Amino acid sequence: MTRISFGRLTPWLLIIPSFALALFIICYPLYNIVFQSVHEVSRFGLLKGFCGLDNFRKLFEDPVFVASVWRTLWWTLGVVGGTVAVSVPVALILHQDFYGRGIARTLVMLPWSVSLTMTAIVWRWAFNDEYGMVNVTLQRLGMIDAPIHWLATSEWAFPVEILVGILVSVPFTVTIFLGGLSSVPGDIYEAARLDGASAWQQFRKLTFPLLRPFINMAIVLNVIYVFNSFPIIWVMTQGGPSNSTHILVTYLYEKGFRLGKPGEAAAVSLVMLVMLMCFTMIYLKIQPKEGEGA
Amino acid sequence: MRVDSRKLRRSLVCWLALSPLVVVVLFPFAVMFLTAVKPAEEVFVFPARWLPSYFRWANFADMWDAAKFGIALKNSLVVSLSATVLAIAVSIPAAYAMARYPFRGKGFYRQFLLVTQMLAPVLLVIGLFRLAAMIHWGEGNLVDKHISVIVAYAAFNIAFAVWMMSSYFATIPRDLEESAWLEGCGRARAILKVFLPLAAPAMVVTAIFTFINAWNEFAVVYTLIRSDANKTLTVQITDLVAGRYTVEWHQVMAATLLATLPVSIMFAWLQRYLVKGLALGAVK
Repeated sequence: MTRISFGRLTPWLLIIPSFALALFIICYPLYNIVFQSVHEVSRFGLLKGFCGLDNFRKLFEDPVFVASVWRTLWWTLGVVGGTVAVSVPVALILHQDFYGRGIARTLVMLPWSVSLTMTAIVWRWAFNDEYGMVNVTLQRLGMIDAPIHWLATSEWAFPVEILVGILVSVPFTVTIFLGGLSSVPGDIYEAARLDGASAWQQFRKLTFPLLRPFINMAIVLNVIYVFNSFPIIWVMTQGGPSNSTHILVTYLYEKGFRLGKPGEAAAVSLVMLVMLMCFTMIYLKIQPKEGEGA
Repeated sequence: MRVDSRKLRRSLVCWLALSPLVVVVLFPFAVMFLTAVKPAEEVFVFPARWLPSYFRWANFADMWDAAKFGIALKNSLVVSLSATVLAIAVSIPAAYAMARYPFRGKGFYRQFLLVTQMLAPVLLVIGLFRLAAMIHWGEGNLVDKHISVIVAYAAFNIAFAVWMMSSYFATIPRDLEESAWLEGCGRARAILKVFLPLAAPAMVVTAIFTFINAWNEFAVVYTLIRSDANKTLTVQITDLVAGRYTVEWHQVMAATLLATLPVSIMFAWLQRYLVKGLALGAVK
């Protein structure tokens, strides 16, 4: 008898260590952020008293914050959209049987292994005005006459960062798509070819629908990662020039650890959480209900 | 045997189509390497050139001292290894439960893991910092202590580790364990003798990816670690660049190259396991 009741508890006993650790590291900071966001907090974390929604009011009165909200949406849309647009064809190519496919796969995956911080540092140097290799190469090829001030002008800095964001997100996304493609049985293509379907028809009628769940999943995970992506912008421009590349995470970090306003930074965290929650809710609404897998 | 001419043509087309991406992927590595071996006086000349006039390997030695690379390397190793061990230790039982038992609350736990993935460390840094400042440890608190970074990394990697390992564990046939029970093995012994040896590769692969995640992380160490003696590579190297009036780019590139190359090689060798593991997890 005891054996059976123990047996029913076993899965929970197995899960508890990881559950407890994750809960502790996530719940206390979360509680603390909610707490700080409704208090006036000094630079050194000293509470000065309850202030209601004052921190939030200050945020929404700050034009830099409002601009950062919009820029975060563009950043997420640009990077995720660009990543999916690049990754689908790349995954389709890497799924073909060709000479050197192993090497090609490894090469495409390579940016994943490099820390975002290091990637950002290298690109910051590569996009250097006078000595950077991007300007040098473009000038050698005759594509530009004078060096472009990539990271020092607001029109260029943000698009450049979006491109770097796409580059580092492609490997993960291609990985998901390759997994999806490998689960597609090969004989349905055989059948389609016998029925006289063209390559484009095969893609539209067979590959794309089968890849659909994987594309959805890649979009969801990428939206979460990209929305929260901190090192690229922080290292390349620190939100500058003149606040023209701040997204919410970099704005949050600057408020909290540079300008010494933890209360307002906590409020930014909460705004971001609400945005992520809205996104997840919308996603779950449009996602067809999946059964509880065993 | 003849060379398959259709395959050859297909290979050419595939490589041609991939070539722009390959160039962009290799570009930063070329920049890193060629800047790292340039003599200092050739880094800042206008117009700049790609190739150095000679390879100055001494840049690496100079950088090692100037950037306190050795200390940061040791710190990165300590933090990443400890975080990996902790994350894997708590994730193995959870992954086993997810792969082997149907139970109430499984869906809930999966959702919980998804939520932990959503709450990226950087969203919580304000709270994490307060948490570390609140806990008494030795003389002071947990700010500027490796243990705080280690525990945070372990916690944030649980979702990935459970996901990867449970999807692999599910592919290990249950019959093997069951037949061991029938032969009089206890459940625990069956796990030890039959399941673990088969699951070991999945654990090793997951551990290596967790290690790489920890090795590459930035926001948490950047916030929690204050003193040079405790900084890890990502933060130490960023400090060479951020807020400096003059940046010794040849040394910075030497440092990024040294910090990146071992991990890239390890990753290149293991990436095919990742395709399999994530795909299995995704369709579940």
